[in-house]
This record gives sequence, structure tokens and C-alpha cells, in this order.
Amino acid sequence: MIDAWIGGALALFFILCACGLVLSAATRGVYSLRAFVVFSAACSILMMFSSAVALASGHSFAIDLWRLNGWGRLSIRLDMLSAIFLFAAGLVYLPASLFVRNLVEVRFRGRYPTRRYGVLHFALMASVVLILVASDAPLFLISWECMSLLCYFLVNYEQSARMDVRAGYIMLVMSEAGFLAVVVAFLILGRGTPDWSFSSLAGMAEHLSGGAVWGVFLLGFLGFGVKAGLVPVNFWLPRCYTAAPAVFVPVLAGVTLNLGFYGILRLDAQLMSNHSLGTGLFALITGSITALVGILYATTENDLKKMLAHSSIENAGIIVAAVGASLVFHASGYAVAAAIALTAALYHMVNHSVYKTLLFQGVGEVEAATRTREMDRLGGLARLLPGLSVVFLVGCLSISAIPPFNGFVSEWLTLQSLLRSAVLLSSAVKILFALCGACLALTAALAVTCFVKVYAMSFLGIRRGDWRKVPGKAGRTQFPLAYLAVACLLLGILPTYVIPVLNRAVEPLAGASAAASLVPPFFTATPENQQLPPAFVNDFHNLGAQTGRHVLPGRGLVVMVRGSEKNPVVFAMSTSYSFVALAIFLFVTWFIATRSSRQRSVTRHELWAGGIPRLLPEMTYTATGFSNPVRVVFQAIFRPNIVEDSRETVAVHFRTAILRRRDETHLVDRLLLHPVGEAVGWLARLLAEMHHGRLNAYVTYTLAFLLIILVLFRLS
Amino acid sequence: MSFWFWHGLKKGVRSTHYPRKFESAAGVSPGRPVATEFDSATEAVLAAANCPVDAIVARGSAAEVKLERCIYCQHCHYGNPHLLEWNSDYEWTMAALGPGKYQPLPGAYHRSLHVMVVDAGDCGACLHEVKQLNNPLYNMHRLGIFLTATPRFADVLLVVGPVSENMRVPLLKTYEAMPTPKRILAVGACAINGGVFGRAFMSAGGAASVLPVDLLVPGDPPPPLAILHALLAVTGRKNPVAQMASLEGNS
Repeated sequence: MIDAWIGGALALFFILCACGLVLSAATRGVYSLRAFVVFSAACSILMMFSSAVALASGHSFAIDLWRLNGWGRLSIRLDMLSAIFLFAAGLVYLPASLFVRNLVEVRFRGRYPTRRYGVLHFALMASVVLILVASDAPLFLISWECMSLLCYFLVNYEQSARMDVRAGYIMLVMSEAGFLAVVVAFLILGRGTPDWSFSSLAGMAEHLSGGAVWGVFLLGFLGFGVKAGLVPVNFWLPRCYTAAPAVFVPVLAGVTLNLGFYGILRLDAQLMSNHSLGTGLFALITGSITALVGILYATTENDLKKMLAHSSIENAGIIVAAVGASLVFHASGYAVAAAIALTAALYHMVNHSVYKTLLFQGVGEVEAATRTREMDRLGGLARLLPGLSVVFLVGCLSISAIPPFNGFVSEWLTLQSLLRSAVLLSSAVKILFALCGACLALTAALAVTCFVKVYAMSFLGIRRGDWRKVPGKAGRTQFPLAYLAVACLLLGILPTYVIPVLNRAVEPLAGASAAASLVPPFFTATPENQQLPPAFVNDFHNLGAQTGRHVLPGRGLVVMVRGSEKNPVVFAMSTSYSFVALAIFLFVTWFIATRSSRQRSVTRHELWAGGIPRLLPEMTYTATGFSNPVRVVFQAIFRPNIVEDSRETVAVHFRTAILRRRDETHLVDRLLLHPVGEAVGWLARLLAEMHHGRLNAYVTYTLAFLLIILVLFRLS
Repeated sequence: MSFWFWHGLKKGVRSTHYPRKFESAAGVSPGRPVATEFDSATEAVLAAANCPVDAIVARGSAAEVKLERCIYCQHCHYGNPHLLEWNSDYEWTMAALGPGKYQPLPGAYHRSLHVMVVDAGDCGACLHEVKQLNNPLYNMHRLGIFLTATPRFADVLLVVGPVSENMRVPLLKTYEAMPTPKRILAVGACAINGGVFGRAFMSAGGAASVLPVDLLVPGDPPPPLAILHALLAVTGRKNPVAQMASLEGNS
């Protein structure tokens, strides 16, 4: 019965995808756009529906497709891990589809070539779903390659500037390199395998030697890390996100980024269960460095879109660090800690998809309304776009991990799971965990700085640039954003309902249940329960942990990990109760404030700005100024190249103009891309020496080669 | 290791006991000219003619003093035959609108007063004296009086300088930005009536031409204790002196 529901939904999804592809290509103008929006929204709802059914029932759906000569049988399987990623993809695709319509109508006044866009969009959607449900290597790799190519076409869709086209090329090259690495990883893994299904590959993984495990892990990690945006293979990401059209970036950040994590989890966590400690530590360290590098560049970046791209790198780092911690715990035999870390990773993945889509759409909206993305030229948008400013604020609060929004829960869980390293035996590993935890804590603090800057500099204050609001249908554009903002809030205040769902995917991977240890069943506590003794429950009953037990379903509203007898609670929190308390406090404060100030008179004068006669936009705090402390403190990392030039009239004391330019090369470019480029150039020059010789020299080379071959033959 | 704590204990309290006790240390006040009875009307007129700013007015055989005009050139104190008597006190804050027309701030401000100082074209002398209030000798914090940098927290606007044209708008904006109830102090002869600058093309001629001034602190510059007396008068812990006898009928 459930199989029929899931299978039917998936089949319907592919049918609708095909219909949408054909209809949006065959029709013209507004009909094309309508077909696009309707079919895309329907497809994303079906994605959510099929995965929700699978997650709710806990039942994996599997079906064999046709047999491919020499490759074995192609099959698809929607297991719990796939279902979570599929649900997150659907969650993002729905507002992204509706958003396309808003943006096309507002920014392009309907003159957007939706026909070709629709074809690419539906093809990408189908390939994403195929990647997520593929249960054998050939189907997975074919869909992956399709996805890479379609992403390239979509990034280059508007083709506005030369740099954009270059960014697209860099992305294509990196995706292909990553793809090759993944193919090699699968080939090593599946040497001598009877067929290429994931289950038999998992069986092969048990016989791999230590070196081969490292090889497969590294190739897969870096190959998938290209899509996930990990240091050092992420230099395409900021360029490409900046170049991509505003309608496509939310998909890029909310869907295809996740595919990288999916690949890492599928290949490195599920297929290869015999991990050493080292691979997990490698993932943890890479993740922490990625997070720190990402947020450093995000904080100092003034282009909204580029800043969000760097922030995506940061979030990817946090997720991968949690995955790495989980692998280390798994290798050391702490299944429960591994499950908690993996839950944190998946939770953060879902959260990141939601709020990053929200923020990218908000930036798209800002750009559509003002035609600029420079924070130094924006300012005062809250008055211009009040609805957008509220939802954008929700996005900023979520991403900076402020309760009661969703970013808080997952970042808190991630940091707490890193602190669980106290149980590990090796002190070197403990020190590494502590350093990575410090790295992530610094990242979280910088993220707050970064998004305070984003919101304050773009939405508050006074308008700095000479842009003018583009007239458009601003009212209609808020729905997809509001939908995502509500999702942010719900994921933040209902973690105890989300964790058991995530747990369905985590449990088979980690070998232990995260929900059982993270969400104590306060609502359904019985005196017979050995895990939750009545005395313990009683203590927490007095604190209010059982409030609402007769009204609400579920296990409870408290996230808590219980420890030993000496230390009964390792960590605990409840965003649900604190949200209610926060709401009550805010209401009471508002009530008292309004009641007590009823008799007082309120006078309003203009803003106090130090008594200056007129506050000019140039005088206000700029985004560059706000982030300059970070730039100065981390100068050793940024290594800026500052060029200062001045023009004088009479002597050096009478300067008429000062030009100060600051160029920064990204850390990864500086340490990896440029040396590699130089090495290739050096090699090419060396070969060119040979190429540009005379004909006689070529003949000599040939003769020498022939002689060497003959001598070798003779000797052997 | 620093022995500042021990030194502090050894030296004891050096702050002035004003307003609990009258401070009589030498040099805390330049004093002020007071009305003087001369032998003849001629002598009184000669004494008045000595004053470059018409702060001395002859009335019969007496020379009366309009202290708010005095620029402390001390011509009536040294070096001429018609000298005025000098009083060495410092409590000479006056209500700007005349005696009885001044209302101190309500009781909540008695021991918590935040002062915003605006330099409206001051030469630096009055500012310097205001600054002295923060030093250990005068130490106005012991009385709950604090300087603040923003008008949003300020209860008292302390104006020094003759209000130059460039500072007129900022001064008005500062006043508007302050919450009520608020009081305005004009400190120094310049802030009272323009002082040596008077009313000129770039000088408004005192704070009163721009704002509703409440208290005047004559002196050029007034000593710190005179300013402290004015601040205490704002809170109602001291009273502004009644217009001096010599001023009656002239204001």
C-alpha cells in the first residue's frame, strides 16, 4: 500500500516533469511561464509528498528498472537518507518555482526567455531526484553528470558579462574533475564486484585494504566536496553563485549544494562502514577550516550575493565537521554520540537549505527593486520594502543561530556533539576536537557579525546610493519568502518533532538511535521505564518539562542528553518552551509599556546625529567600516595587496587626491589555484621549447626515441 | 607593585566638602566685585567709568555691580584710585528670569543629574573650568552629577561660549533632542550676553537669544564651585541667589 503511494508519487513526478518540460517549451509568453510555475510547484509538492510518506512510515521504496548491458541492473531505492534529502529539495523547490514567476514579472516585466529555462529547470529537477533515489553506481553517476551539465547551462543562462561566462567554465571544469574523482573512487571500491548496486558495493567495501579505504574516502570526499563547497575545491563557488541568475541561485544553494553532502554520506558513511579514526578526523578538520575560511570572507564581502555564497561555504563546513565528528565517534565505538553528531549534520543541512533559499531570494528581490547588490550603496530598504525586510530579518536571525529560529538548534547540537569528545580516549584526538570546536565557535560569532552587518547596512539607516526603486508588483512577491520564514521558525521551535524524523536516516548509518537519547519521552513517561526513572522525571516535572503533555503529541519538548549518575544531564534545552516564554515576556513588556506610558506625552523630533546640520549618506556607517576590524585582525589570512597613490599640487603636504586600492586574492586561489596554474604554465613552456625547434631536431627526437625502444626490447 | 591604594588611604579625603561645608581654601574663587559706597557721587561715577563693559553703575554715591556683565578684567580691583570692595565667595548663580521665576527639577533628580556640555564657540576657559568638576578635588560624581555625551540622557544643557553662527543650529538640535524636563545653564559672561564678543555678525550674543535659559553663572570664567552651585541649584539642593541688591530695578 505504502509502496504504491510512494511509487505512484514518484512516477507522477517524472510524468509531470516531462509534461512541464514539453509544455513550457512548446507554449509562448505568459502561458509558458504559467505552465512552468504550475508544473514545477506540483513536482516539488510530489517530491515532498513521496519523501514524507516514506519518512512517516519508515518504509523504504525500491524498484528495479531495466538492465544495462555490462553495467548490471539499474534500480532505484528511496531509503530514509534519500527521503530526507528529497524532502529538503522539495521544500526549497516549491518557493523557488513560485519565486521565478515573481522575479520574471517584477524584474523582467515578463520578457524572460522562460521557454529554454523551463526545459533546463525540469531536466535538472528530474536528474536531482534520480541522483537521490539511484541505488546503483551507473544510474547515480549518469544522473550526477546530467546534473553537473545542467547546472552549468543554468548558471550561464543570462550570460550578462564575460566574467560570468568564465565563472561558468570554472564551475564546469571543477564539476567534471570532481565527477572523475568520484568515478575513480567507485572503480576502486567496486573492483571485481558482480554488479554495481550500492548494496553489493557496500559488501565489497569490507574487504578493502587500509590504503584503498583512504583512497576511496579522499577521492569521494574531494569529488563530492566540489559540489558541497569544501576547502580547497570550492573556488568556483563564490564566482559561480555571483554569476548565476537570481532565479537559479536559490536552487544552487538549497538543492545542488546538498547533493554534495548526500554523496559524502552515501559513499563515505554508508557504503564504507570500516572507517579508521583518521578519515573522520580529516573530515572534521576540513569542515572546520572550511567554515572559518567561508565566514571570514563572508564577513568582509560587501556584495550581497557573493557574501551569501561565502556563507554557504561556511555552513557546508559546519555540516561536514559534524559528519566528521560522527565518523570519529563511529570508528571509536560510540554509536550514540555518532548518531547525535549525524543528526546535527542532517538538521543543519535542512536548515541551511531553508534559510539560504530565503536569503538568496531576498537578495534577488533587493536586486530586482534597486538594481544593485552593493551593501555600501544600499541602506534604508526597511522603509522601501517593509514585508521583505521582516522575512529577511528572520533569515538573518536563523543563519546567525539566534533562538528561537532553526539555525540555533542545529549549531547548538553540532557544538554539543563536538564537546562530547570528552568520552574519547586519545588525548590527541581530544585536542583536535577542542581546536575544531573553537574554530566553529569563532565561526558562529563571526556569522553573527556578518549578518548584523548585512541587515543593518542594507535594510536600516538611510539610503546611500543613488538608486531608485523600480516600480513593480511588490505585494505578491512575499509569499514564497513568508513560507520559508515560517519554515525557519517551525524547524527552530519544534526540534523534538524533527529529530525523530531525522533519526530514521541516522539510525541505520550510526547504528544507534539519536532520538532515544536526545528526546527523552517526558510526555509518555511511565514509572516502569528504566531509562527515565520516576525521580528524574519528577525533578524535571517541577521545572515544567511535562507542560502540555495532555494536549500535544510526541515524546516531549525537551532536547536533552542524559549522563551518568554523577552528572545526570550532559546538555539540555528546549526552544519550544523558551519560545513560549519569550512570547509571554514580550507581550507582558509590551502591555506594561503601553499601559504605563498612556498618561505621558510623546514628542518626536528628528534623529539625533551629533547635531550636524544635515546627515548626508556619505557620513553614515558603511559596510566596509563595520567589517574592518575583522579585516584588520585577520590580516595574516587575507594578505591584502594595498596600492596607495596620491596627487599633490605643490609639495607632498598639499594633496589633492588620494587613491587607495585594496586587492585581495582568496586564500584558496593564493595557496592552490595560482601555484597549480603556474606549474602547468611552466610545464607548458618546457614542452613549447621542444615544439618550436627545427625539423631536424624533431627527426632527431624520433630517432632517439626509436633507439631507446630498441635498446629496451633488446635488454628485456 | 603600585601603592596607590596605600597612598590614597594615607592622604585621606582631599575632595572639597562643599556643599556640606563652605570651602574656604585659597584660590578656589577669584571673588567678585560688590556694590560699594563711595564718599561722593563723583567718585562713584569715576569708578563706573573705569569699567570697560558697563558692569558698574553709579547710583548716587554708590557704585552698583551688574555681575552678569563682568568680564573679570579686574580694573576695579587693582591699579586705580576708585576700587570696589571684593567678596571672595562663589555662590552667585542667578535665575535668568528674575527671582521667584525659577523652578528646580523634581525630586527624582536630586541625586542623579546628567549634564550635556555644548561648546558654542567658547575660548576654552569656561570649558576648562567645567572640566575641573571631574577632578578629585571637586569630584561632582559624589553629588550624583555626571557628564553625558548624548542629549538623549541629558537633563541639563550646559552652554559655554557666545553661540557662534556655526554652533547655533547644533545647539538648537541638542536642545530639541533632550527629553523633558530639562534646564539650561548659561555658564560664563559670553554665554550670558555675548561677553567680549557681544552681538555680532557671527555671534548670537549669548545662549538666551537662542534658547530659554534658566540659570546664569556669571564669571569669565566662573570658578568650578560656582558651576557646581548652579548644578546644585538645578536639582533644588541649593537656591540661586536672589538678584543682587545692585541689580534690582535694572533687569
